[in-house]
Amino acid sequence: MSAPITARLARELAAVVDRLRRATVQVRTRGAGMGAGVLWRAGDGSRALVITNAHVVRGNRTTIELSDGTVASARAVARDPKRDLAALEFAADRDLPYAVGRESPPLEVGELVIALGHPGGLVGAATLGIIHAASERDGRTPRWIQADVRLAPGFSGGPLADAQGRLIGINTMVRGGLALAVPAATIDAWLRGSRALVSS
Amino acid sequence: MVTEETMSTVLQSLSTELAAAVESAGRAIVAIHARRRIPASGVHWRPGVIVATHHTINREEGITVTLPDGTTGPATLAGRDPSTDLAVLRLSDPGLPTASPRPDAPKAGELVIALGRPGSSLTASWGVVSRVAGPWRTWQGAEIDTLLRLDLAIYDGFSGGPLIDSGARVLGINTSALARGAPLTIPVATVERVVTELLERGTIRRAYLGIGTQEVRVPQSLARTLDLTSDAALLIVSVEPGGPADRDGVLLGDVLLELDGAAVRDPSDVLAKLGGDRVGRPIAARVIRGGQVKTLQLSPGERPKPQAA
Repeated sequence: MSAPITARLARELAAVVDRLRRATVQVRTRGAGMGAGVLWRAGDGSRALVITNAHVVRGNRTTIELSDGTVASARAVARDPKRDLAALEFAADRDLPYAVGRESPPLEVGELVIALGHPGGLVGAATLGIIHAASERDGRTPRWIQADVRLAPGFSGGPLADAQGRLIGINTMVRGGLALAVPAATIDAWLRGSRALVSS
Repeated sequence: MVTEETMSTVLQSLSTELAAAVESAGRAIVAIHARRRIPASGVHWRPGVIVATHHTINREEGITVTLPDGTTGPATLAGRDPSTDLAVLRLSDPGLPTASPRPDAPKAGELVIALGRPGSSLTASWGVVSRVAGPWRTWQGAEIDTLLRLDLAIYDGFSGGPLIDSGARVLGINTSALARGAPLTIPVATVERVVTELLERGTIRRAYLGIGTQEVRVPQSLARTLDLTSDAALLIVSVEPGGPADRDGVLLGDVLLELDGAAVRDPSDVLAKLGGDRVGRPIAARVIRGGQVKTLQLSPGERPKPQAA
């Protein structure tokens, strides 16, 4: 029996995950295990950044590995332990498959989300879920995006994306089985306001 | 950060449909404040009637309900039934749409969403129906029309919320209290039946005999002598003093073979014969006593109301 919708769904999901995987890096710090990070184009695109969780990066130096196997040394240029965010900079010799952001519309409860990470060293693992609760109230960005998606250690710092693979947040923690992600808008605002980033 | 034009895909359509179903069904979901800390969920089932779960209602007075628009008002408890874990509240003019129930049971593997409102905001978790089976009995003896077990995560507000399909139709009321914490849905048919009776009487009538039974095998020689068709029966291991069975002469040690003409092999077979319509209507019991088969006429009484939780 053919199942055309399911087959298309599977193909499209594979394509979205593939694109998202290219924008996801491994972040390795000695003694801190492996986390994930997202390739982020800052401002004019002259600098290659990786956004990840502060708890994934210990110290100022770390090693990242891109999805194509390129290994690079990266330097922490901004860090905010309270928001659990860190920005790493590395020398890129070419255009990178940066994450694509979602400007609008606001997230709706029930819409599909995809998380990517490296649980237990399994590089580039994807998991599918939905938005658990409305994240926006009175137009203000909330502290967390809450998603009904099963995460494990190794997803920290990796992308949470919508059905089109557009970045909506950085997976940061699990509370009561619920995935909590820092909204992309929070990261944007943080980077713009980060003096360390501007002066470096 | 880079941004990109939106694409129209099956994946995006699925996402949009799920969000639309959540939004639509969510308009009939309220938060119920009847316990400490986290509120529970309830569904606007009929005009002015909210269905909730019994185990999340810890007080009978001073219950309030928060509507989808964020306003909170008082509600009164119209009835509750611990055996199905359902409770019914009345709300004056809530100005909400009622839920759209889907009478036919879902299939195993069907994509479903559990909704809740543990406070002012709506919450959702998704998964599939993992098992669908015929009628079953809860540990307190109530019959549930269809077994609906779920494969999805339980978060705050799960109990009392609806299970919906991708078209926003309600498949039943969710509870974590009937299967040792596992997610389960009380189907629409059961909810309708219990709600009707709770609105009429405030409680679910159940007949009872006041006996405790245990499965037993009748020795083959005795079964042959008495010309029994089966050796499976129930041994009466307790008789409530002054209860219906005690008054009608049931003795400890009697072996129950049949009730109302049907063989009993399992304690649930006895419960199956004791629906609310059986109260006060005599029922014939065939028992083995002293090596002889006897028929007793029993008059089931009404099960006393359980103590409020």
